Amino acid sequence: MIDFQYIFEYFNGAPLIIQIIWMVSCVLFVTAVVLIIYLKVFRSHLRKNEKIVKTFQKKYEELLITYLYAGVEDEEISSEQQSIINKLKSEIKNEFKREIVITTLLKLRNEISGEMADAIQELYCQVGLLDYSLIKLRSSSWYIIAMGIRELTQFNIEKANKQVVKYANHSKSEVRKEVQLYLINLFHFKGLDFLDDLKVSLSEWDQIQLLEVLQRSKDQEICNIIPWLKSENDSVVIFALKLAEIYNLFETKEVLLELISHKSENVRINLMRVLNHLSIFEAKEGIKRNFNKRNKEEQIAFFQLLENLYDTNDEDFILKQIYNKNFEIKFEALKILKLFHNEQFNNLKLTPPESEFVKIAKFLQNN
Amino acid sequence: MNKKKIVLAEDNSTLSLLLKFRLEKEGYELHMAEDGKKAIELIEQEHPELILTDIMMPFVSGLEVISHVRNTLDLKTPIIVFSAAGQEEMVLKAFNLGANDFMGKPFSPNELVIRVKRLLA
Repeated sequence: MIDFQYIFEYFNGAPLIIQIIWMVSCVLFVTAVVLIIYLKVFRSHLRKNEKIVKTFQKKYEELLITYLYAGVEDEEISSEQQSIINKLKSEIKNEFKREIVITTLLKLRNEISGEMADAIQELYCQVGLLDYSLIKLRSSSWYIIAMGIRELTQFNIEKANKQVVKYANHSKSEVRKEVQLYLINLFHFKGLDFLDDLKVSLSEWDQIQLLEVLQRSKDQEICNIIPWLKSENDSVVIFALKLAEIYNLFETKEVLLELISHKSENVRINLMRVLNHLSIFEAKEGIKRNFNKRNKEEQIAFFQLLENLYDTNDEDFILKQIYNKNFEIKFEALKILKLFHNEQFNNLKLTPPESEFVKIAKFLQNN
Repeated sequence: MNKKKIVLAEDNSTLSLLLKFRLEKEGYELHMAEDGKKAIELIEQEHPELILTDIMMPFVSGLEVISHVRNTLDLKTPIIVFSAAGQEEMVLKAFNLGANDFMGKPFSPNELVIRVKRLLA
Protein backbone atom coordinates (compact mmCIF):
# COMPACT_ATOMS: atom_id res chain seq x y z
CA MET A 1 0.00 0.00 0.00
CA ILE A 2 2.84 2.32 0.95
CA ASP A 3 4.64 1.43 -2.29
CA PHE A 4 1.60 2.36 -4.37
CA GLN A 5 1.25 5.64 -2.48
CA TYR A 6 4.93 6.38 -3.10
CA ILE A 7 4.54 5.67 -6.85
CA PHE A 8 1.39 7.80 -6.98
CA GLU A 9 3.11 10.72 -5.22
CA TYR A 10 6.21 10.38 -7.41
CA PHE A 11 4.00 10.44 -10.53
CA ASN A 12 2.04 13.51 -9.39
CA GLY A 13 5.19 15.36 -8.44
CA ALA A 14 7.03 14.60 -11.67
CA PRO A 15 7.21 17.16 -14.54
CA LEU A 16 4.58 16.83 -17.31
CA ILE A 17 7.03 15.36 -19.86
CA ILE A 18 8.03 12.60 -17.42
CA GLN A 19 4.34 11.86 -16.74
CA ILE A 20 3.69 11.56 -20.52
CA ILE A 21 6.72 9.27 -20.99
CA TRP A 22 5.48 7.04 -18.16
CA MET A 23 1.99 6.87 -19.63
CA VAL A 24 3.26 6.05 -23.13
CA SER A 25 5.59 3.39 -21.66
CA CYS A 26 2.69 1.80 -19.77
CA VAL A 27 0.46 1.78 -22.88
CA LEU A 28 3.27 0.22 -24.98
CA PHE A 29 3.96 -2.38 -22.30
CA VAL A 30 0.29 -3.40 -22.07
CA THR A 31 0.04 -3.53 -25.90
CA ALA A 32 3.16 -5.72 -26.11
CA VAL A 33 1.81 -8.11 -23.46
CA VAL A 34 -1.57 -8.34 -25.22
CA LEU A 35 0.14 -8.98 -28.58
CA ILE A 36 2.41 -11.67 -27.13
CA ILE A 37 -0.58 -13.44 -25.57
CA TYR A 38 -2.55 -13.12 -28.81
CA LEU A 39 0.35 -14.53 -30.87
CA LYS A 40 0.78 -17.42 -28.46
CA VAL A 41 -2.93 -18.28 -28.60
CA PHE A 42 -2.98 -17.83 -32.39
CA ARG A 43 0.09 -20.04 -32.87
CA SER A 44 -1.24 -22.80 -30.64
CA HIS A 45 -4.57 -22.60 -32.53
CA LEU A 46 -2.71 -22.98 -35.86
CA ARG A 47 -0.69 -25.92 -34.56
CA LYS A 48 -3.82 -27.58 -33.23
CA ASN A 49 -5.48 -27.02 -36.56
CA GLU A 50 -2.47 -28.43 -38.39
CA LYS A 51 -2.61 -31.54 -36.23
CA ILE A 52 -6.31 -32.01 -36.96
CA VAL A 53 -5.68 -31.54 -40.69
CA LYS A 54 -2.87 -34.12 -40.58
CA THR A 55 -5.07 -36.63 -38.76
CA PHE A 56 -7.89 -36.26 -41.29
CA GLN A 57 -5.45 -36.27 -44.19
CA LYS A 58 -3.98 -39.56 -43.00
CA LYS A 59 -7.47 -41.01 -42.64
CA TYR A 60 -8.50 -39.91 -46.13
CA GLU A 61 -5.20 -41.04 -47.66
CA GLU A 62 -5.81 -44.55 -46.36
CA LEU A 63 -9.41 -44.51 -47.59
CA LEU A 64 -8.26 -43.32 -51.01
CA ILE A 65 -5.54 -45.95 -51.39
CA THR A 66 -7.94 -48.68 -50.22
CA TYR A 67 -10.50 -47.42 -52.74
CA LEU A 68 -7.95 -47.53 -55.57
CA TYR A 69 -6.92 -51.10 -54.82
CA ALA A 70 -10.37 -52.39 -53.92
CA GLY A 71 -11.60 -52.62 -57.50
CA VAL A 72 -12.90 -55.95 -58.77
CA GLU A 73 -12.42 -56.70 -62.45
CA ASP A 74 -15.99 -57.77 -63.27
CA GLU A 75 -17.69 -55.00 -61.29
CA GLU A 76 -17.65 -51.30 -62.01
CA ILE A 77 -17.61 -50.43 -58.32
CA SER A 78 -16.98 -53.12 -55.71
CA SER A 79 -18.89 -53.24 -52.41
CA GLU A 80 -15.76 -52.08 -50.54
CA GLN A 81 -15.40 -49.13 -52.88
CA GLN A 82 -19.10 -48.29 -52.45
CA SER A 83 -18.73 -48.26 -48.66
CA ILE A 84 -15.74 -45.85 -48.99
CA ILE A 85 -17.80 -43.63 -51.30
CA ASN A 86 -20.63 -43.57 -48.75
CA LYS A 87 -18.20 -42.74 -45.94
CA LEU A 88 -16.65 -39.89 -47.89
CA LYS A 89 -20.09 -38.62 -48.92
CA SER A 90 -21.02 -38.07 -45.29
CA GLU A 91 -17.59 -36.60 -44.43
CA ILE A 92 -17.68 -33.92 -47.13
CA LYS A 93 -20.88 -32.42 -45.77
CA ASN A 94 -18.53 -30.53 -43.45
CA GLU A 95 -16.72 -27.78 -45.38
CA PHE A 96 -13.48 -28.14 -43.41
CA LYS A 97 -13.30 -31.88 -44.08
CA ARG A 98 -14.35 -31.37 -47.68
CA GLU A 99 -11.33 -29.17 -48.35
CA ILE A 100 -9.03 -31.83 -46.85
CA VAL A 101 -10.59 -34.54 -49.03
CA ILE A 102 -10.06 -32.37 -52.14
CA THR A 103 -6.42 -31.67 -51.16
CA THR A 104 -5.79 -35.38 -50.60
CA LEU A 105 -7.29 -36.36 -53.95
CA LEU A 106 -5.30 -33.66 -55.73
CA LYS A 107 -2.07 -34.59 -53.99
CA LEU A 108 -2.22 -37.94 -55.71
CA ARG A 109 -4.02 -36.89 -58.89
CA ASN A 110 -1.17 -34.51 -59.80
CA GLU A 111 1.53 -37.14 -59.34
CA ILE A 112 0.16 -40.18 -61.14
CA SER A 113 -1.24 -40.96 -64.56
CA GLY A 114 -3.15 -43.78 -66.19
CA GLU A 115 -6.01 -45.81 -64.79
CA MET A 116 -5.49 -44.66 -61.21
CA ALA A 117 -5.68 -40.98 -62.14
CA ASP A 118 -8.97 -41.76 -63.93
CA ALA A 119 -10.20 -43.62 -60.86
CA ILE A 120 -9.49 -40.56 -58.65
CA GLN A 121 -11.45 -38.40 -61.07
CA GLU A 122 -14.29 -40.90 -60.94
CA LEU A 123 -14.21 -40.85 -57.14
CA TYR A 124 -14.42 -37.03 -57.19
CA CYS A 125 -17.68 -37.32 -59.12
CA GLN A 126 -19.02 -40.32 -57.19
CA VAL A 127 -18.70 -38.74 -53.73
CA GLY A 128 -20.42 -35.58 -54.90
CA LEU A 129 -17.46 -33.19 -54.83
CA LEU A 130 -18.30 -32.23 -58.41
CA ASP A 131 -21.69 -30.94 -57.26
CA TYR A 132 -20.00 -28.80 -54.60
CA SER A 133 -17.65 -27.36 -57.24
CA LEU A 134 -20.61 -26.56 -59.49
CA ILE A 135 -22.42 -24.89 -56.58
CA LYS A 136 -19.34 -22.68 -56.13
CA LEU A 137 -19.86 -21.39 -59.68
CA ARG A 138 -23.18 -19.90 -58.59
CA SER A 139 -21.63 -17.97 -55.70
CA SER A 140 -21.77 -14.20 -55.53
CA SER A 141 -18.11 -14.00 -54.42
CA TRP A 142 -15.63 -13.94 -57.29
CA TYR A 143 -12.96 -15.91 -55.41
CA ILE A 144 -15.36 -18.80 -54.72
CA ILE A 145 -16.24 -18.91 -58.42
CA ALA A 146 -12.51 -18.92 -59.26
CA MET A 147 -11.90 -21.73 -56.76
CA GLY A 148 -14.75 -23.78 -58.23
CA ILE A 149 -13.40 -23.42 -61.77
CA ARG A 150 -9.90 -24.35 -60.59
CA GLU A 151 -11.23 -27.56 -59.02
CA LEU A 152 -13.00 -28.45 -62.27
CA THR A 153 -9.72 -27.89 -64.13
CA GLN A 154 -7.68 -29.98 -61.71
CA PHE A 155 -10.11 -32.89 -61.98
CA ASN A 156 -10.52 -32.56 -65.78
CA ILE A 157 -14.30 -32.14 -65.69
CA GLU A 158 -15.05 -31.51 -69.35
CA LYS A 159 -18.82 -31.63 -68.99
CA ALA A 160 -18.85 -28.35 -67.01
CA ASN A 161 -17.72 -26.51 -70.15
CA LYS A 162 -20.98 -24.58 -70.66
CA GLN A 163 -21.20 -23.43 -67.03
CA VAL A 164 -17.55 -22.30 -67.01
CA VAL A 165 -17.42 -20.50 -70.34
CA LYS A 166 -20.18 -18.13 -69.12
CA TYR A 167 -17.55 -16.41 -66.98
CA ALA A 168 -15.10 -15.71 -69.84
CA ASN A 169 -15.94 -12.00 -69.66
CA HIS A 170 -16.20 -11.77 -65.84
CA SER A 171 -15.26 -8.42 -64.35
CA LYS A 172 -12.51 -10.00 -62.16
CA SER A 173 -9.32 -10.96 -63.98
CA GLU A 174 -8.73 -13.86 -61.53
CA VAL A 175 -11.99 -15.51 -62.61
CA ARG A 176 -11.23 -14.91 -66.29
CA LYS A 177 -7.78 -16.44 -65.86
CA GLU A 178 -9.27 -19.59 -64.29
CA VAL A 179 -11.80 -19.87 -67.14
CA GLN A 180 -9.04 -19.58 -69.73
CA LEU A 181 -6.85 -22.16 -67.98
CA TYR A 182 -9.83 -24.52 -67.69
CA LEU A 183 -10.56 -24.29 -71.41
CA ILE A 184 -6.94 -24.61 -72.55
CA ASN A 185 -5.99 -27.40 -70.16
CA LEU A 186 -9.02 -29.48 -71.04
CA PHE A 187 -9.69 -28.67 -74.68
CA HIS A 188 -6.28 -27.40 -75.86
CA PHE A 189 -6.53 -25.39 -79.11
CA LYS A 190 -10.27 -26.00 -79.34
CA GLY A 191 -10.56 -24.24 -75.98
CA LEU A 192 -9.36 -21.02 -77.61
CA ASP A 193 -12.86 -20.52 -79.03
CA PHE A 194 -13.54 -18.23 -76.07
CA LEU A 195 -11.45 -15.62 -77.93
CA ASP A 196 -14.32 -15.23 -80.44
CA ASP A 197 -16.44 -13.46 -77.84
CA LEU A 198 -13.80 -11.98 -75.55
CA LYS A 199 -14.80 -8.42 -74.76
CA VAL A 200 -12.11 -7.63 -72.19
CA SER A 201 -8.37 -7.36 -72.64
CA LEU A 202 -6.18 -10.47 -72.52
CA SER A 203 -3.24 -9.38 -70.37
CA GLU A 204 0.37 -10.12 -71.27
CA TRP A 205 0.60 -12.49 -68.30
CA ASP A 206 -2.59 -14.34 -69.39
CA GLN A 207 -1.13 -14.72 -72.87
CA ILE A 208 2.14 -16.16 -71.53
CA GLN A 209 0.24 -18.66 -69.37
CA LEU A 210 -1.99 -19.75 -72.24
CA LEU A 211 0.95 -20.21 -74.61
CA GLU A 212 2.83 -22.21 -72.01
CA VAL A 213 -0.11 -24.58 -71.45
CA LEU A 214 -0.65 -24.92 -75.20
CA GLN A 215 2.99 -25.79 -75.79
CA ARG A 216 2.85 -28.48 -73.11
CA SER A 217 -0.26 -29.98 -74.68
CA LYS A 218 0.08 -33.29 -76.54
CA ASP A 219 -2.48 -32.16 -79.11
CA GLN A 220 -0.58 -29.73 -81.33
CA GLU A 221 -3.20 -29.49 -84.07
CA ILE A 222 -3.73 -25.75 -84.29
CA CYS A 223 -7.06 -24.32 -85.35
CA ASN A 224 -7.81 -21.47 -87.73
CA ILE A 225 -6.53 -18.24 -86.16
CA ILE A 226 -7.63 -15.88 -88.95
CA PRO A 227 -10.86 -14.76 -87.18
CA TRP A 228 -8.74 -13.71 -84.17
CA LEU A 229 -6.31 -11.79 -86.38
CA LYS A 230 -9.37 -9.85 -87.55
CA SER A 231 -10.79 -9.42 -84.04
CA GLU A 232 -12.00 -6.07 -82.76
CA ASN A 233 -10.18 -6.81 -79.49
CA ASP A 234 -6.54 -5.70 -79.93
CA SER A 235 -5.25 -8.06 -77.24
CA VAL A 236 -6.81 -10.99 -79.13
CA VAL A 237 -5.06 -9.86 -82.34
CA ILE A 238 -1.72 -9.65 -80.48
CA PHE A 239 -2.25 -13.13 -79.02
CA ALA A 240 -3.09 -14.50 -82.48
CA LEU A 241 0.12 -12.88 -83.79
CA LYS A 242 2.07 -14.77 -81.14
CA LEU A 243 0.39 -18.01 -82.22
CA ALA A 244 1.28 -17.27 -85.86
CA GLU A 245 4.91 -16.74 -84.83
CA ILE A 246 5.27 -19.76 -82.53
CA TYR A 247 3.49 -22.19 -84.84
CA ASN A 248 4.91 -20.73 -88.10
CA LEU A 249 1.47 -20.13 -89.62
CA PHE A 250 2.50 -19.02 -93.16
CA GLU A 251 -1.07 -19.51 -94.36
CA THR A 252 -2.06 -16.36 -92.48
CA LYS A 253 0.18 -14.24 -94.74
CA GLU A 254 -2.64 -12.35 -96.52
CA VAL A 255 -4.29 -11.32 -93.25
CA LEU A 256 -0.93 -10.33 -91.78
CA LEU A 257 -0.34 -8.03 -94.75
CA GLU A 258 -3.71 -6.38 -94.11
CA LEU A 259 -2.69 -5.72 -90.51
CA ILE A 260 0.13 -3.37 -91.65
CA SER A 261 -2.42 -0.56 -91.52
CA HIS A 262 -4.10 -1.71 -88.27
CA LYS A 263 -5.35 1.14 -86.05
CA SER A 264 -3.45 -0.07 -82.98
CA GLU A 265 0.21 0.87 -82.71
CA ASN A 266 0.86 -2.07 -80.37
CA VAL A 267 -0.56 -4.52 -82.92
CA ARG A 268 1.62 -3.03 -85.67
CA ILE A 269 4.79 -3.32 -83.56
CA ASN A 270 4.04 -6.98 -82.73
CA LEU A 271 3.23 -7.55 -86.39
CA MET A 272 6.75 -6.45 -87.44
CA ARG A 273 8.23 -9.22 -85.32
CA VAL A 274 5.94 -11.83 -86.92
CA LEU A 275 6.58 -10.57 -90.47
CA ASN A 276 10.29 -10.80 -89.74
CA HIS A 277 9.98 -14.30 -88.28
CA LEU A 278 7.91 -15.59 -91.20
CA SER A 279 10.11 -13.74 -93.75
CA ILE A 280 7.20 -12.02 -95.49
CA PHE A 281 9.09 -9.84 -98.00
CA GLU A 282 5.88 -8.47 -99.52
CA ALA A 283 5.24 -6.41 -96.39
CA LYS A 284 8.25 -4.16 -96.88
CA GLU A 285 7.03 -1.93 -99.72
CA GLY A 286 3.78 -1.07 -97.93
CA ILE A 287 5.63 -0.07 -94.77
CA LYS A 288 8.31 1.92 -96.62
CA ARG A 289 5.64 3.94 -98.43
CA ASN A 290 4.34 5.51 -95.23
CA PHE A 291 7.44 5.01 -93.10
CA ASN A 292 7.59 8.63 -91.90
CA LYS A 293 3.98 8.52 -90.66
CA ARG A 294 4.76 5.62 -88.31
CA ASN A 295 5.97 6.19 -84.77
CA LYS A 296 9.61 5.73 -83.75
CA GLU A 297 9.16 2.34 -82.05
CA GLU A 298 7.50 0.97 -85.16
CA GLN A 299 10.21 2.44 -87.39
CA ILE A 300 12.94 0.78 -85.30
CA ALA A 301 11.06 -2.54 -85.39
CA PHE A 302 10.88 -2.21 -89.17
CA PHE A 303 14.65 -1.78 -89.38
CA GLN A 304 15.12 -4.97 -87.38
CA LEU A 305 12.91 -6.65 -89.98
CA LEU A 306 14.97 -5.11 -92.82
CA GLU A 307 18.17 -6.47 -91.34
CA ASN A 308 16.83 -9.99 -91.95
CA LEU A 309 14.82 -9.41 -95.11
CA TYR A 310 17.11 -6.99 -96.95
CA ASP A 311 17.36 -7.02 -100.73
CA THR A 312 18.87 -4.59 -103.25
CA ASN A 313 15.53 -2.77 -103.70
CA ASP A 314 15.92 -1.43 -100.17
CA GLU A 315 19.24 0.30 -100.86
CA ASP A 316 17.82 3.75 -101.67
CA PHE A 317 15.58 3.64 -98.64
CA ILE A 318 18.52 2.72 -96.39
CA LEU A 319 20.72 5.45 -97.82
CA LYS A 320 18.00 7.99 -97.09
CA GLN A 321 17.61 6.79 -93.51
CA ILE A 322 21.30 7.08 -92.58
CA TYR A 323 20.58 10.82 -92.27
CA ASN A 324 17.50 10.26 -90.10
CA LYS A 325 17.38 12.52 -87.01
CA ASN A 326 16.70 9.58 -84.70
CA PHE A 327 19.92 8.03 -83.41
CA GLU A 328 18.62 4.44 -83.30
CA ILE A 329 17.25 4.56 -86.85
CA LYS A 330 20.47 6.09 -88.09
CA PHE A 331 22.41 3.38 -86.26
CA GLU A 332 20.26 0.57 -87.69
CA ALA A 333 20.50 2.00 -91.20
CA LEU A 334 24.30 2.18 -91.01
CA LYS A 335 24.42 -1.33 -89.60
CA ILE A 336 22.49 -2.66 -92.59
CA LEU A 337 24.67 -0.67 -94.95
CA LYS A 338 27.83 -2.12 -93.41
CA LEU A 339 26.38 -5.62 -93.63
CA PHE A 340 25.29 -5.51 -97.27
CA HIS A 341 27.24 -2.63 -98.89
CA ASN A 342 30.54 -2.50 -97.08
CA GLU A 343 32.24 -0.50 -99.86
CA GLN A 344 29.59 2.21 -99.76
CA PHE A 345 29.81 2.24 -95.99
CA ASN A 346 33.59 2.81 -96.18
CA ASN A 347 33.12 5.63 -98.70
CA LEU A 348 30.67 7.36 -96.43
CA LYS A 349 33.18 7.17 -93.61
CA LEU A 350 35.66 9.23 -95.67
CA THR A 351 33.16 12.05 -96.28
CA PRO A 352 31.44 12.34 -92.95
CA PRO A 353 28.42 14.63 -92.99
CA GLU A 354 28.33 15.00 -89.19
CA SER A 355 30.32 13.99 -86.11
CA GLU A 356 27.67 11.59 -84.74
CA PHE A 357 27.81 9.74 -88.04
CA VAL A 358 31.57 9.18 -87.64
CA LYS A 359 31.10 7.92 -84.09
CA ILE A 360 28.50 5.33 -85.19
CA ALA A 361 30.61 4.29 -88.17
CA LYS A 362 33.64 3.80 -85.93
CA PHE A 363 31.62 1.81 -83.43
CA LEU A 364 30.24 -0.44 -86.18
CA GLN A 365 33.70 -0.84 -87.66
CA ASN A 366 35.07 -2.05 -84.36
CA ASN A 367 32.16 -4.34 -83.45
CA MET B 1 12.31 -66.39 -48.98
CA ASN B 2 13.79 -63.01 -48.08
CA LYS B 3 11.93 -60.08 -49.53
CA LYS B 4 13.98 -57.56 -51.52
CA LYS B 5 14.24 -54.24 -49.70
CA ILE B 6 13.41 -50.93 -51.33
CA VAL B 7 13.89 -47.47 -49.78
CA LEU B 8 11.38 -44.92 -51.04
CA ALA B 9 12.23 -41.24 -50.44
CA GLU B 10 9.18 -39.12 -51.27
CA ASP B 11 7.70 -36.12 -49.47
CA ASN B 12 4.19 -36.63 -50.86
CA SER B 13 2.68 -38.92 -48.23
CA THR B 14 -0.26 -40.01 -50.43
CA LEU B 15 2.00 -41.04 -53.29
CA SER B 16 4.31 -42.87 -50.84
CA LEU B 17 1.39 -44.80 -49.42
CA LEU B 18 0.14 -45.75 -52.88
CA LEU B 19 3.57 -46.97 -54.00
CA LYS B 20 4.08 -48.84 -50.73
CA PHE B 21 0.78 -50.64 -51.25
CA ARG B 22 1.60 -51.44 -54.88
CA LEU B 23 5.19 -52.61 -54.37
CA GLU B 24 4.38 -54.66 -51.25
CA LYS B 25 1.73 -56.40 -53.32
CA GLU B 26 4.52 -57.35 -55.74
CA GLY B 27 6.47 -58.91 -52.87
CA TYR B 28 8.94 -56.17 -51.95
CA GLU B 29 9.70 -54.81 -48.50
CA LEU B 30 9.22 -51.05 -48.49
CA HIS B 31 10.95 -48.54 -46.19
CA MET B 32 9.60 -45.03 -46.50
CA ALA B 33 11.34 -41.70 -45.86
CA GLU B 34 9.58 -38.35 -46.08
CA ASP B 35 12.81 -36.39 -46.72
CA GLY B 36 16.36 -36.93 -47.91
CA LYS B 37 17.85 -36.93 -44.41
CA LYS B 38 15.67 -39.84 -43.29
CA ALA B 39 16.33 -41.61 -46.59
CA ILE B 40 20.10 -41.56 -45.96
CA GLU B 41 19.54 -42.94 -42.45
CA LEU B 42 17.33 -45.74 -43.82
CA ILE B 43 19.79 -46.61 -46.59
CA GLU B 44 22.65 -46.89 -44.08
CA GLN B 45 20.49 -48.93 -41.72
CA GLU B 46 18.63 -51.24 -44.13
CA HIS B 47 21.10 -51.68 -47.05
CA PRO B 48 18.30 -51.86 -49.65
CA GLU B 49 18.51 -53.58 -53.04
CA LEU B 50 16.88 -50.54 -54.74
CA ILE B 51 16.38 -46.84 -53.99
CA LEU B 52 13.46 -44.76 -55.29
CA THR B 53 13.89 -41.05 -54.69
CA ASP B 54 12.17 -37.83 -55.58
CA ILE B 55 14.49 -34.99 -56.64
CA MET B 56 12.92 -32.14 -54.70
CA MET B 57 12.63 -32.94 -51.01
CA PRO B 58 12.97 -30.99 -47.76
CA PHE B 59 16.32 -30.81 -45.86
CA VAL B 60 18.35 -33.05 -48.19
CA SER B 61 17.50 -33.26 -51.91
CA GLY B 62 17.35 -36.41 -54.04
CA LEU B 63 20.59 -35.35 -55.75
CA GLU B 64 22.37 -35.29 -52.38
CA VAL B 65 20.95 -38.73 -51.57
CA ILE B 66 22.39 -40.11 -54.85
CA SER B 67 25.73 -38.41 -54.21
CA HIS B 68 25.85 -39.83 -50.67
CA VAL B 69 25.08 -43.37 -51.90
CA ARG B 70 27.61 -43.28 -54.74
CA ASN B 71 30.43 -41.20 -53.21
CA THR B 72 30.26 -41.54 -49.41
CA LEU B 73 28.84 -45.05 -49.03
CA ASP B 74 30.39 -46.20 -52.33
CA LEU B 75 27.36 -48.41 -53.11
CA LYS B 76 26.24 -49.65 -56.53
CA THR B 77 22.56 -49.96 -55.46
CA PRO B 78 20.28 -49.12 -58.43
CA ILE B 79 18.54 -45.77 -58.08
CA ILE B 80 15.38 -44.55 -59.82
CA VAL B 81 14.65 -40.81 -59.56
CA PHE B 82 11.27 -39.12 -59.82
CA SER B 83 11.16 -35.69 -61.38
CA ALA B 84 8.47 -33.14 -62.09
CA ALA B 85 8.03 -31.40 -65.46
CA GLY B 86 10.68 -28.74 -66.03
CA GLN B 87 13.37 -30.49 -63.98
CA GLU B 88 15.29 -31.81 -66.99
CA GLU B 89 18.56 -30.28 -65.81
CA MET B 90 18.16 -31.92 -62.41
CA VAL B 91 17.60 -35.28 -64.11
CA LEU B 92 20.83 -34.86 -66.07
CA LYS B 93 22.64 -34.03 -62.83
CA ALA B 94 21.09 -37.13 -61.23
CA PHE B 95 22.39 -39.31 -64.07
CA ASN B 96 25.83 -37.71 -63.79
CA LEU B 97 25.83 -38.53 -60.09
CA GLY B 98 25.00 -42.16 -60.80
CA ALA B 99 21.21 -42.60 -61.03
CA ASN B 100 20.16 -45.62 -63.13
CA ASP B 101 16.71 -44.59 -64.33
CA PHE B 102 14.16 -41.77 -64.03
CA MET B 103 10.41 -41.31 -64.19
CA GLY B 104 8.75 -37.97 -64.92
CA LYS B 105 5.71 -37.07 -62.83
CA PRO B 106 2.87 -37.75 -63.30
CA PHE B 107 3.77 -41.40 -63.82
CA SER B 108 1.91 -44.67 -63.90
CA PRO B 109 2.51 -46.90 -60.85
CA ASN B 110 2.26 -49.94 -63.16
CA GLU B 111 5.14 -48.62 -65.26
CA LEU B 112 7.18 -48.08 -62.10
CA VAL B 113 6.63 -51.71 -61.10
CA ILE B 114 7.94 -52.84 -64.52
CA ARG B 115 11.08 -50.72 -64.12
CA VAL B 116 11.64 -51.92 -60.55
CA LYS B 117 11.33 -55.55 -61.66
CA ARG B 118 13.77 -54.95 -64.53
CA LEU B 119 16.37 -53.42 -62.23
CA LEU B 120 15.99 -56.12 -59.57
CA ALA B 121 15.90 -59.05 -61.98
